[in-house]
Amino acid sequence: MWLLGWRDLQWRRRRFLIAVVATALVFAMTLLMTGITASIHAENHHIVRRFDADAWVVASGTSGPFTASTLIPVTDATRVAAAPGVRRADPIIVFRSTVGTRKLKDVNVLGVRFGGVGSPKVGAGRLPRRAGEVLADTALGLRPGAHVAVTGHDLRVVGTAGGVTFYFGTPTIVMSVEDAQRIIFGGQPLATAVVTRGVPAPAPSGLRAVSNDTAISDLERPMKNSDQTLALIDGLLWLVAAGIIGSIIYLSALERARDFAVLKATGASTPALLTGLTFQAVLLALGSAVVAVLLALVLAPIFPFTVAIPGSAFAELVVVAVVVGLVASLAGLRRAVGADPALAFGAA
Amino acid sequence: MMDPFSVGVHDLTIEYSSGGYAVRPIDGFDLDLASGELVLLLGASGCGKTTLLSALAGILRPQSGSITVGATDVTALRGPALTEYRRGTVGVVFQSFNLVPSLSALENVAMPLLLAGVSRRVARERASALIDRVELTERAGHKPSELSGGQQQRVAIARALVHDPPLVLADEPTAHLDYIQVEGVLRLLRELATPGRVVVVATHDERLLPLADRVVELSPRVRSHPREPEMCELDAGGVLFRQGDPGELVYVVDEGEIELVRHRVDGTDERVTTVGPSGYFGELAPLFGLPRSATARATRPTTVTGSTVADFRARRHGAYPVTDLMAGAAD
Repeated sequence: MWLLGWRDLQWRRRRFLIAVVATALVFAMTLLMTGITASIHAENHHIVRRFDADAWVVASGTSGPFTASTLIPVTDATRVAAAPGVRRADPIIVFRSTVGTRKLKDVNVLGVRFGGVGSPKVGAGRLPRRAGEVLADTALGLRPGAHVAVTGHDLRVVGTAGGVTFYFGTPTIVMSVEDAQRIIFGGQPLATAVVTRGVPAPAPSGLRAVSNDTAISDLERPMKNSDQTLALIDGLLWLVAAGIIGSIIYLSALERARDFAVLKATGASTPALLTGLTFQAVLLALGSAVVAVLLALVLAPIFPFTVAIPGSAFAELVVVAVVVGLVASLAGLRRAVGADPALAFGAA
Repeated sequence: MMDPFSVGVHDLTIEYSSGGYAVRPIDGFDLDLASGELVLLLGASGCGKTTLLSALAGILRPQSGSITVGATDVTALRGPALTEYRRGTVGVVFQSFNLVPSLSALENVAMPLLLAGVSRRVARERASALIDRVELTERAGHKPSELSGGQQQRVAIARALVHDPPLVLADEPTAHLDYIQVEGVLRLLRELATPGRVVVVATHDERLLPLADRVVELSPRVRSHPREPEMCELDAGGVLFRQGDPGELVYVVDEGEIELVRHRVDGTDERVTTVGPSGYFGELAPLFGLPRSATARATRPTTVTGSTVADFRARRHGAYPVTDLMAGAAD
């Protein structure tokens, strides 16, 4: 009977409000973590798509283009370009470094052939044309004309582009393959991979071609542990939410034992009483879910990288919250079922 | 032809556990109630008034005996049939009102109907009519905490009537009320006892006596008439009195030994104490009008002398203080 549950909610409104806020905070955290996880995966897909390549060629026995530890001669790009099925091939260099002198900041260093495969699109300014010119991700906060030091090399920013990030939102500095070789390999003509238009079939000896999906997996593999940790914390948070809802409903059932006894003594069936309690659990869960959505939307921009919560996560939250609410209220429901109508005859 | 509104209680025995001991407040009880009667169940606390009401309400299952309301054998009802009986046949006014604190007076009255699946409009109309009847129209929207004890009790009476039951049970309806509030509640209860309905009121409040068509004393008053001491000889194992019996006399052991035992729920006996020559026992039951709380039996051939409390006091040191009596052996 929903009226009974609703009136009790009004009667104990402060307690329910506190429970809603506490549960909403937990729900909001699960939403944000879902958003973080989704954003990481979206970022990986996005950066691989930006290369606009059909295949990635790396040294045989190497895991992939981003985590490759085996370098290849830059002339392998010519061998790959000559392979059947390939229309164009360009070398790339992917490396991690830092910028700044006193306050270091992690960056990805990407060496490409501007105008070739993997060449980025410019947001502001222009593409580098000369040695020592770079394109910077907007997340670095640098404008065209600014100077940036990468491992002691002074470079001039001539253009910026948004969304050139990977490894958990780490911004990228894009430069020519030759500059990257100079800064990272001491001028040796090496590369970490070759990106192609068309898929080499087969890849030249000593090399292997991998797909975009494999390139994405290569990016995601180092984050597997973080992913699992986030999933584990997510699960624990759901347990915390269930605990809050469960304890509130159980307390309510405990305090209303005499009410249930009286109503049973006056002929109320157990299912009718349970409806009221179930209604409370569902309302508490739904109320918390709604507040959680608002909280998550407010909190998401505070994070140092883009947290894009997928629309499906909101719908999932509502459904899972109701299920969690119902499961959590089982102890309270059991308490109500067990209320002995004889209790109604006891003196207060 | 059977009166559809009559209530019959036959050879009813109810036993429950109290601290591990078996307590039998109702033992072989008989009662017949006719339509239109208001019956008072009178007795001290613990004499079984509420226990009997609980059984009549279909809440407590007796060990043996039967309760019939019209053609319904209440003791044979189970599950949904029992719920239906509680809903349609009995209305209960509880001792401490037992209103749901979060609901208004009107909602408290309407709630049993709503829980029975009656539409909100019909339930509200019926509850409003009953609230009017108990003269609380102006207070219908107030929560129980905003009502006086008498007003809460009137709401409880209205709630008991919401299904228009043929049997209304009231447990100590004046227990928490002052004399001004009592008046309105008594008048209401009296008005309920009309043809087609039986009202049973459990109370220890003797102010309610003029209200009743019939008074049933659940703890028969043991009147200590002046009488000569009685000597009683018992063989080994012979029982002087049993747990639950009414008590009138205090006993002194002349020869032999008496053991006092209490029956436990698991069927075993627990020895409380033994009383030897010149010791006394059984003083609390006649002193306070309580049933015997233990069984007294001889462990070997024994002679005891039983006296009234007054006589016992007079014979032992002139006047025996009550506190000394209470400090004696278990009853």
